[in-house]
Amino acid sequence: MSGRSTPTLGHSASNSRHVRNASHLEHLKKVQLNNAPARSNENVFASLRATAMVESKPYLPAELIATILDYLPVPDLMRFARVSRRLQEMVYDDTRWIQKLRQMGAWNEGEARQRVEEAMKRKTEAQLARQEGEGKKGIAGQQQFNGGGRRHAGSVTLFDAGVEEQRYRKSLEQPQSPQHRRKGTLSDGFEDLTISGSPSSPSRGAQSSLNTAAALDIFKKVRSIRGHARQEFGRVYGSLAPIYLDLARTKGHSDALIFRTYRDPEQQAQILSNLKRFAQCDLANGWEQREEKLDSMIGVFENAVLREFEQGYAADDVPGRMRRYAHVLVSLNGGNAGIDSFISNHSAMARTQRIGNPLDCLEDVAPGHVDLNPSQRFFEQLASIMVQQADVIDRVFPTSVDVLTPFWIRLCETIVADYLTALFDEAHARGIETYVKAVAGTFGQALRLVASLKPTKAAPPDFVEKSKQTIVQCFEKHIDLYLAEEFQNFTTKATYEVDVWEKQLSEQEASTESFFMSNVNRQAAKRDFLSSFKKVVMMPVNAFPMSSPFGTAKPANVAARSSANLDAIDTSYNPASRPRTPTLTSSTPPPRSSTPSQDPPTTELAAKTAIMNSRLEGIKSLFSIEVALNLTHIAKASIERTAMMVQMGGRDGEEAKKQCERIFVTLLDILGNRHIKAGFDKAVNHLGDYNPREVRKFKSESTTDPSTHIGVEPLVTFLELVNVGDLIQQMIDVFYNQELVNTKLIESDDFLAAAVKDKKKFEQMLDERVAAGLNKGIDVLIDEVEYICATSQTPTDFNPGPQGVIDIGPSPTAKQVVDMVSGHTGMLVGSTDKNMLDVFNQEVGLRLFGALCKHFKRQRISVDGAIKLISDINHYHAFITTLKQKPLMPYFEALREMSQIYLVYIDPPTSVFASNAKTGKRGSLLTGKASTTSLQAKELATIIADSQRYHGIFPAEEVYEFAERRADWYLVKGDVERAMYGVGCVVM
Amino acid sequence: MASEGEQTVKLVSSDNVEIVTERKVAERSMLIKNMIEDLGAPGEEPIPIMNVSEAVLRKVLEWCTHHKNDPAPSQDDDADSRKKTTDIEDWDQKFMQVDQEMLFEIILAANYMDIKALLDVGCKTVANMIKGKSPEEIRKTFNIQNDFTPEEEDQIRRENEWAEDR
Repeated sequence: MSGRSTPTLGHSASNSRHVRNASHLEHLKKVQLNNAPARSNENVFASLRATAMVESKPYLPAELIATILDYLPVPDLMRFARVSRRLQEMVYDDTRWIQKLRQMGAWNEGEARQRVEEAMKRKTEAQLARQEGEGKKGIAGQQQFNGGGRRHAGSVTLFDAGVEEQRYRKSLEQPQSPQHRRKGTLSDGFEDLTISGSPSSPSRGAQSSLNTAAALDIFKKVRSIRGHARQEFGRVYGSLAPIYLDLARTKGHSDALIFRTYRDPEQQAQILSNLKRFAQCDLANGWEQREEKLDSMIGVFENAVLREFEQGYAADDVPGRMRRYAHVLVSLNGGNAGIDSFISNHSAMARTQRIGNPLDCLEDVAPGHVDLNPSQRFFEQLASIMVQQADVIDRVFPTSVDVLTPFWIRLCETIVADYLTALFDEAHARGIETYVKAVAGTFGQALRLVASLKPTKAAPPDFVEKSKQTIVQCFEKHIDLYLAEEFQNFTTKATYEVDVWEKQLSEQEASTESFFMSNVNRQAAKRDFLSSFKKVVMMPVNAFPMSSPFGTAKPANVAARSSANLDAIDTSYNPASRPRTPTLTSSTPPPRSSTPSQDPPTTELAAKTAIMNSRLEGIKSLFSIEVALNLTHIAKASIERTAMMVQMGGRDGEEAKKQCERIFVTLLDILGNRHIKAGFDKAVNHLGDYNPREVRKFKSESTTDPSTHIGVEPLVTFLELVNVGDLIQQMIDVFYNQELVNTKLIESDDFLAAAVKDKKKFEQMLDERVAAGLNKGIDVLIDEVEYICATSQTPTDFNPGPQGVIDIGPSPTAKQVVDMVSGHTGMLVGSTDKNMLDVFNQEVGLRLFGALCKHFKRQRISVDGAIKLISDINHYHAFITTLKQKPLMPYFEALREMSQIYLVYIDPPTSVFASNAKTGKRGSLLTGKASTTSLQAKELATIIADSQRYHGIFPAEEVYEFAERRADWYLVKGDVERAMYGVGCVVM
Repeated sequence: MASEGEQTVKLVSSDNVEIVTERKVAERSMLIKNMIEDLGAPGEEPIPIMNVSEAVLRKVLEWCTHHKNDPAPSQDDDADSRKKTTDIEDWDQKFMQVDQEMLFEIILAANYMDIKALLDVGCKTVANMIKGKSPEEIRKTFNIQNDFTPEEEDQIRRENEWAEDR
């Protein structure tokens, strides 16, 4: 060491050498001048550019020598290092060895960096400690430090094991004063790296003898330490190169060193895999042949092991040979060959075992149906295979390799895909409906299969997700056709449903007339229906999205339900169990069951259906709730099938989602525009065509029961329609919430979605129809009121004549009117929303008020009859009170007040006058009587003129008009007018 | 651009000899290629190759002519791309059978003119010359002075015993 660095120049090693090799200085300069373009990325060598090749005329610059060295085999490199100092420096350069380690994948940059950082930290700590120490020790310490620094200066570049060893020994010698040791390393922090646990020179162990055990896990022991890369590489090289070079030299595989040294297949595999890695750093001439040799050796070995593995597989020797050789294969090269063999040798893959015939699903089924049991069995078999294989894989393969995923992929690609394609092709040939059911059904089953998969220990964490994608891929090629067919299928079926109904309707048109009329006495039944309807339907619907009784239970069993539904749909469309339609006669072609709710409802929608249908028995509709139900059923089936596909995710999932929305929109279109709108239009026309006289004729024929309420038939029908329409609308709402929103097919707050827009449009359309119908209905209703008033009110009702009032109470007319009107208003309760109902009731009230005023003004009312009138009016008032319409109350209160004008008894002045005329005491009597009469008239006049009384409803003029209807009006007119206007005397 | 292959360029060696060659041949040298691209008008202006003598330049151009249809060298010449260079072709081996001075000149010229493939061939040839030789033989071959003491040399040998051939 001392020979290498003179103490005086110890601060710079390279300088010292330049000085020492003074004879070369000229050449150095020359070389430097000649080599102007130095590559920047090789500035590591910049200071070394002036290098050897002494007396040869052209001088190769350092970077070129470095390049040459890259092509030298390691032994030659080391000999080259012995040629001269400068060359040794270049050979020893750490980056060269780091690169070699990196080529073998044995260099960990992060680890190296961490070590350097640790070293730096220690360095600064040491520096601090040193400063403290300096303060104490003074000059003596400093001298010691200088000595240390000098001693190590030479090792900056020549950084061999000797120095390392020396330093290690030193550190052992001076364990009590680490400070001192660190001082020595201050000149270069890189040198002071921790060599955890085994600081002894590593390059020695390997070279002394072939350490067979060490070669096995040599790569695990390699540490990434800057400045020690050569030593680390040396260890690897020492262990592996002999075997490697021997392999390259030997001819056959039997006498290769590796197979002589290692007897165990596990070890052989490990060594071969290590050699493969090692070969990566072999750059010297002829590496191709060597690598080829190695590869062929690996191939031979792999085949032999694979044969053993397959024999083990054939013998089903899972824990023994299979496991052993699987591990050997994995440690050799990741075990791909073994996995491949394992997968393709499986009986299902090899087609030796046939699981399920796709055509079984289409055997013995009615057209349009598909028997999903065979496919269910098919998928169950697959699931059991997967579970079984997962178990075997866990036992055979090490946990570092994922065998189940490739196995699953192969299973899907070969077996599932073939099965599905065969099934779908055949199903498509049988018909669209069969096809869509087959696709959605098998997809659901496939998803359940995926859910039942059990990952192995080695399976990646996203195994379930991956395997789902795999199975989805099997369906991908079918999805486009499926979506198109599904939509087509739905539209066709829905249209057909409506068409059939319309056709039946027109067939029944003739008999409908009489049906209308014969159905007078069904108010009670209808009331019953309406109340139960309110109870059953309104309650859950009102409560709906928040906490409906089924809403809470539903999300939990959505999966089970929808899967059950897929099977249930098949049966629910069986015509035999179709709920009876309440509308048309029993001559309807398909024999429909009159007991609709036999099977327990699977969804609340179905439950509602059952209840509705049972309640709707015997109710005639212009559009059928049953048709609507069927339509929603079809839509539900379609959407549920399509929703299944949404789980495919990705683009196809989006497509399926859109498809659901499209189906819903189409449902609204067909149901709303074609079915309900037509029904409403027809009903409104019926209302318009209503002719009370027909009713009279009809009434005379059929009203045998006196208690029968007479209704305005078209209005009743219409109100039923409103009910049904409303029901349908609520049904659609429930449907929408449950099938689309709850299943996340549509964002509930996405007001731009086509489904939402169309739903709004549908509701709007319904409301408009209802409003138009109600308007017409009110007209008809009031017509009827007027008709009843005009026909049933006898003149003696309010003017009983001399015999006086026979019974106190409302007249039959009033009773009739109230019954009729209340019958109709009552029907609406709960069927439409409250605002609509309020508007309707107010309108009815007002119009009724108007009609009554008109009616009263046509009567002649005596004081005795006034009692009757008042009881009539009270009856009306009581009815209006039941409507609970505040704005109506003043009208009828005013009417009640007004009726009092008839109660005021006024002595008939004319009779007095007449009798007096006979007696000849006219004047005196006149004056005497006149005072009584005028007093009474004055009272009446006060009542008439008191507009406060009538809440401003009647102006005095109108009350006056009413007063004119007094039976004795012409007798008291003068007095009253006089009392009112004070002008009577002028007239007199 | 179709005529690019027939275009010629004029090169001037360090001893002022003009050599006319195909542009395609000359463009094996990245140095010349970049120069031509920078100059824009090839053929008219002679391109000086200052560090290369006529003899060496002709030798280099001979190599370039033989290799003019090789695929263009990959741009990413990081450390690992060097790894998989193939062994020397027969033609190149014959081509490199020149005296050592010429060999070094070629390597230097290839380095200067930035002809990576030629540089590789040259370096490999030198590596082959070094291979299997003892340090003393290497010193003789390349005329290098030994500045180690025998002890030092032995020390280096010992610390690298792991690399010895067995």
